[in-house]
Amino acid sequence: MTSPDGIRQDRTGTRALPEELDKDLTAVGLDQDPSAFRRLFANLAPRLKYFMIKGGMIESAAEDVMQDTMLKVWRKAALFDSSKASASTWVYTIARNVKIDRLRKEHRPEPDPEDPCFVPDDPETGEQAVSRKQDRERIQKAMAMLPPEQMTIIKLSFFEEKSHGEIAEMLDIPLGTVKSRIRLAFRKIRTELEGLK
Amino acid sequence: MNIRHHIGDDTLMAYVNGTLEDALSVVVATHLAICPKCRRSVSLMEDMAGLLLMETEAAALSATEEAMADMIPNRAHPEPHAQDRSSRTQDYSNTGVPMPLAERMPTSLDDIPWRTLGPGVSHYPLPRASAQKVKGTLRLLKIAPGKVMPEHGHSGRELTLVLRGSYIDDFGRFQAGDIADLDSDILHQPVADTAEDCICLIATDAPLKFSGFFSRLLQPVFGF
Repeated sequence: MTSPDGIRQDRTGTRALPEELDKDLTAVGLDQDPSAFRRLFANLAPRLKYFMIKGGMIESAAEDVMQDTMLKVWRKAALFDSSKASASTWVYTIARNVKIDRLRKEHRPEPDPEDPCFVPDDPETGEQAVSRKQDRERIQKAMAMLPPEQMTIIKLSFFEEKSHGEIAEMLDIPLGTVKSRIRLAFRKIRTELEGLK
Repeated sequence: MNIRHHIGDDTLMAYVNGTLEDALSVVVATHLAICPKCRRSVSLMEDMAGLLLMETEAAALSATEEAMADMIPNRAHPEPHAQDRSSRTQDYSNTGVPMPLAERMPTSLDDIPWRTLGPGVSHYPLPRASAQKVKGTLRLLKIAPGKVMPEHGHSGRELTLVLRGSYIDDFGRFQAGDIADLDSDILHQPVADTAEDCICLIATDAPLKFSGFFSRLLQPVFGF
């Protein structure tokens, strides 16, 4: 099977529920459970590869990033905390960092919670402590409300990891329009998220 | 810390997807270390990216790739829990600034060998992360109380994070922790407005442009 954009596809690819991914990743972290890892691999590896090729990588580079990411998922799974992030979010951040490290020589600067200067989050109130599942569903609903021209830019940013300049060039719109659409999109998403509470 | 000026969503998204220039990323990460609100925005953006990742099609894997599913658990050892975050080799706790910035500073904020740019204004350019020629600048800027900076615009994006003291410009008062996320079409003229020196961390992805005639004389000093 080949998708419209020429990437060879796997029709038998599995698609687990987000909660199952969270559970499997937790099991890998706690018990180094190999069958949980195999399930994660079946779900994530083909998507990571698609994600990278879609983002402009040649197939062999996409394979490298995918393999590197899955290796890190196995090795760092103990750091995954399902109360703080979804498995998909956690894996996305690992894949992004693998990709950045390949492209640049330096690490991306990041805040470190162990830093004495770090200002921690306010303690959550009962109201704020919604489950990951609800969060995911709310974000999905809020994203579905976005007008197509805003969604296109969000997808190009996250999915193809294009810079604002590249997006402006691709869509043949001014750079300022790209930025203002992003700001409008997030304003809308935050408003929707507030309303969906 | 009561932060009132935050990072724009467009800048934050470029940070999240890894396309933001290194100098600007340092300022963003330094603000994130002290701003729970912007960290929540980062989480939201990463959640969205994670959701998009799981919605994508599945690319076909080769037999070698498929075999990784078994090979990784058999051959690779998980990292011990503590190793990840605390693998830092240097202690930055005495620099008085958050780590993403501390990593780039040669010494603490109190001991910076300031270079004078003009009356009441000095700066210190921070070393780049990599030797390779990259766009943009990263510097500390110190403005004496009451000092009016020349009005200037930007040919690209400018991020200013107040580390100490405060300043006022057309957009309001910026105090320690506040970030000014300015775009190319904006002109501003900051004034340090307290009895204390105002120390800022400034990153640009392109040189500054000064608008007035006298200000333009300063261009060679500022806009490299």
